[in-house]
Formats: sequence, structure tokens, C-alpha cells
Amino acid sequence: MQIYLPIAEIAVDPFVIVFLGAGVGFLSGMFGVGGGFLMTPLLIFYGVPPAVAVGTEASQIVASSVSGVLAHLRAKTVDFLMGAFLVIGGVLGAIVGIFLFRYLRGIGQIETFITVSYVVFLSLIGSLMLFESVRALFLASSGTPPKRRRHRSVEWMSVMPFAMRFRQSQIYISPIPPMVLGFFVGVLAAIMGVGGGFILVPAMLYILNMPTKVVIGTSLFQIIFVTAVATVLHAAANQTVDIVLALLLLSGGVIGAQMGARIGVKLRGEQLRALLALIVLGVGAKLLLDLVAPPQSFFIIEFAS
Amino acid sequence: MISIRLIAICSFFCAIPSMGAGADIAVALTNEIVEVDTSFSGAKLTLFGAVSGIEDEDGDGSLDGVDIIAVVKGPQTSFNIRRLEKHAVIWMPGQSHKVASAPSLYVTAATKPIDQIAAIETQTTHHLQADFLPLQLQLTDEMEGNLEFQSILRSAFLREVQALGLYQTSVGAVQFQKQGLFTINIDLPSTTPVGSYSVSVLLFIDGVLVGDDETMLDVNKVGIERHIFESAHNRPVSYGIACVALSLLAGWIAGVVFRK
Repeated sequence: MQIYLPIAEIAVDPFVIVFLGAGVGFLSGMFGVGGGFLMTPLLIFYGVPPAVAVGTEASQIVASSVSGVLAHLRAKTVDFLMGAFLVIGGVLGAIVGIFLFRYLRGIGQIETFITVSYVVFLSLIGSLMLFESVRALFLASSGTPPKRRRHRSVEWMSVMPFAMRFRQSQIYISPIPPMVLGFFVGVLAAIMGVGGGFILVPAMLYILNMPTKVVIGTSLFQIIFVTAVATVLHAAANQTVDIVLALLLLSGGVIGAQMGARIGVKLRGEQLRALLALIVLGVGAKLLLDLVAPPQSFFIIEFAS
Repeated sequence: MISIRLIAICSFFCAIPSMGAGADIAVALTNEIVEVDTSFSGAKLTLFGAVSGIEDEDGDGSLDGVDIIAVVKGPQTSFNIRRLEKHAVIWMPGQSHKVASAPSLYVTAATKPIDQIAAIETQTTHHLQADFLPLQLQLTDEMEGNLEFQSILRSAFLREVQALGLYQTSVGAVQFQKQGLFTINIDLPSTTPVGSYSVSVLLFIDGVLVGDDETMLDVNKVGIERHIFESAHNRPVSYGIACVALSLLAGWIAGVVFRK
């Protein structure tokens, strides 16, 4: 059976798409990551035009973040003031990202740009994850308890102007660093179709010094707003959001995420994390190979609009 | 799968002093619209037709020396073509050149290889092979006026559109049944562009073109698929907001269903 995707303008097997959604959803449920950084390259491998993969992923992340945000809202673990500054930065970042995306699309370099960004980004994240998990496994086997990272007070932050109190997070900092962080994540959301949680969460913990209990809720709060804005902007500026594709991915994604979350709690974390790191590195390597290997055809054609 | 019945009717009969002198061919479609919907995975066009005015001398169904070539052309459009260039270690697309006017889809079907049916001159006049299509190449910058690059680009273009299934030749797709009845089977790719198509059928006797006719065919996008495509392109902001609303709703429903 084949379904014709109206925006991607290709015919796909819906079961493959649902299965892809379920697979990535499983990993994200298991590891508590968003999964956009795996889904976008997998869609590209399947033949979805990269620009459509990115635009569509933005809308899928909106959907897959809803239940998490609601749960954190009920538990009152969202710092709204911090979230607001992250969102302001994020929306500005998304606007800049979309303009860059549109420009690169106009000169025909968006596909190369997306692929290169993913290669850089997946190899960085993958190596860091692999390093961390191997280190943890090594420490565990040698019997040394892993050293807890101390929250260092970051000195350059205390000299920033407009310092204010974030009551929920119990910190007193300038809103500029959260806005800059939000901006950076917003740009990534727009040009790569990722939520950016894997950057937001560590940055909020170790740079902004926010307490662990509000970090996940606040980051999801930012992600849902920024990816929603990125979706509308992609639709408006590039016409690259395929709602049929998004809904197919989502239907697999929610089931996968539930299964992943249940299995994840029963298995040992560090080995799984090393496995995820290897998957991430593998996807990055495949993208790199596609960039450097001599192409099968040296010409590309497209309908001129 | 969508099938289209095309009835080719011999428009007039006449006495045949020499075989085929009065033979002609005319086409008519019984279904003039191909609909691209969410299940569109390529349409199979099945055309039925009949040739009369020519006698089946040995009665075996095939008409000796009689051949048919069918040409399906999509609306004229323009393409961008770029050559991949190696920068440092990666391959990336270079300067964009334009193929200013070419059919968006070009399918030929024939009773046997086209070179064995028609002379080159006839093929050129009637664009019976992609090689004879008048493509207007517009090269940019320093490549402008470079005839060698122009011919490289031309053959690259034809290779790529063939690889995409937009241009194809199907030998043996026109088959005589009996009594001069014939069928034409053409597969259209799922990437078939929308618009107005022309279908021409040419009748050859001993390599001489003795008759031809042309009819039109519309490829449309229908159903929810067309609705989505049109709102995404005509009302992009509302479409984007609708996508977000739908995502929020779907995510919320999923959350409710799985909350335990």
C-alpha cells in the first residue's frame, strides 16, 4: 500500500513511516530525548526532501511534547518566567533560522546545509554521549562511585545587567543568558527540525544553575512554543510542512514512546546510552558518507517554480 | 490504480488501392481525467483502440507493416539543473542552469523500437524520441555560450528525467489484438505533474506516417490531498496554524489515551 504525501510529493509506504515513528519514539521514550535529531535524517534516507523533513519534524515535536508539558504543568514544575525568556529568545532564533533556511533554499544549498549541520551535530552529541557512558561504565566496574558534578557558580553571569529573581528556580540571574540560550536553540529548531532539549537541559543545569526538578518541564515549555512558531514559519515561508507525514510519524511515535519508557526503566542506563550513542554516530557517518562519496549522478534537476 | 480507456477509432473507411493509402487513425478518451489522490502510486493508462481500413491479410491478428506510436506529453514547464561539484571533501550543487521549456512528462509507447518504425526526419518533426525534443537551455554566467557544456547538460537532463520516470519509452506497449484492435499500456509515475496532457497517436505503414490524431487528458489532484496541497500553497499561514492545532490535539489525545 502506498500513500501520496501532498507536500513532500512522494508516495510512501505508510507502515514504514509509522514503524519509523515507533522506532524513534521507542528510543526517545527509553532515553527521555526528543528524537528529532534521529527522525529528520531517517526521513531523508527514506527519500523525503530534506527541507520537508525539517519542516514536518517541527510539527511532530509539537505533538510529542504536549503530554510531557501537561504533566509538568500539573506537577507545577515549570518556571514560567524563565520559560518566557527562553521562548522570547527561541522565537527570535526561529525567525532568524527560517530566514537563513529560505535564503539557502533559494540558492539551492539547503540540502547540503542540513546534511552538513547534522553531520557536525550528530558526531558531537554521539561522541559526548559515548564518552560519558563509557566513562560511567568504567567507573562502575572499577568500583569508584561516579563523581557528582558540582554546580559551579558561573562568574561571567553575575556581571550581566538586569539581574532578576526567578522564584520557581530559586536563582537570581540576568535574563540575557536564557534569551541567548533560547535563541541558539530556536535557530537549531528552525534549520534542523529538532527540539533542542539535549542542549537546553544541560545548559539549564550547568550554566543557568537551575534545579533539576524544573529543568525538564521548563525546557519542554520552551520547545513546544518554539517548534510551534517554527512550524507556522516553515509553512508560511517555505511550504514544507507535510501534515500527513507528521500524523503518520506521530501515530507510531506515541506507541513507541510508551513502550520505550516502560522498557527503559527495567534496563541498565549506561549500556543503553552507549547504544544510543552508537546509533547517533552511525546515522552521522551515513550522512557524511553521502556527502563525500562520489554521487551516482553528477546532476540534479528540479521543477523551476 | 487508475485506468483510462482510450478508444482509437478509424475515422473513415475507404477502398484500399494500395494498403494503407486511405487509412487513418483517430483517438478518443472515455475518461479524460487522471486523479492524483492520497493513494496515488502511479497510474496505469490502458488505452483501447482499433485500426480499420487496413486488411489483416493472414488473419493472425498482427497487421504486417503497420505500426503505432503513442506520445503522451505533460504541460510545458521549466526545470533547474545543477552539476554537483566537489568543494574540499564534500559534493555540493553548483550553479543552477535552466531548461526553459520542456514537457513535464514525456512518455512514448510503440509497437516496436521507434528507430525501426520511423525515419529520423519524421521523428524529429513529431518529437517521437526525447532526443528530438526542442529543449531551450539557458546557461548562466561563464557557461553561457559554451556549446560543449550545453550538450553535456542536455544529455544529463534527459538522463535525470528518465531516472525519475518522467520521461520514458515503452517498446511493445502498443499491441495488436485481432481484427486491427489494439491496446496501449502506459505506466505514469507517482510524480506525474498535474495539468493538461496531450495524447497523440500516429499510424505508420511501412515506415510512412499515414495518419495521426491528438486528444487531451487532465491530471488533477483530488480529495483531501488536493485540499492539503492547495491550502499549504494558497493560505500558508492558516495552514501552518492548522498544522500546529492538529499536532497539539493529536499529542493531547495520545497523552490521554496512554495515561495510566
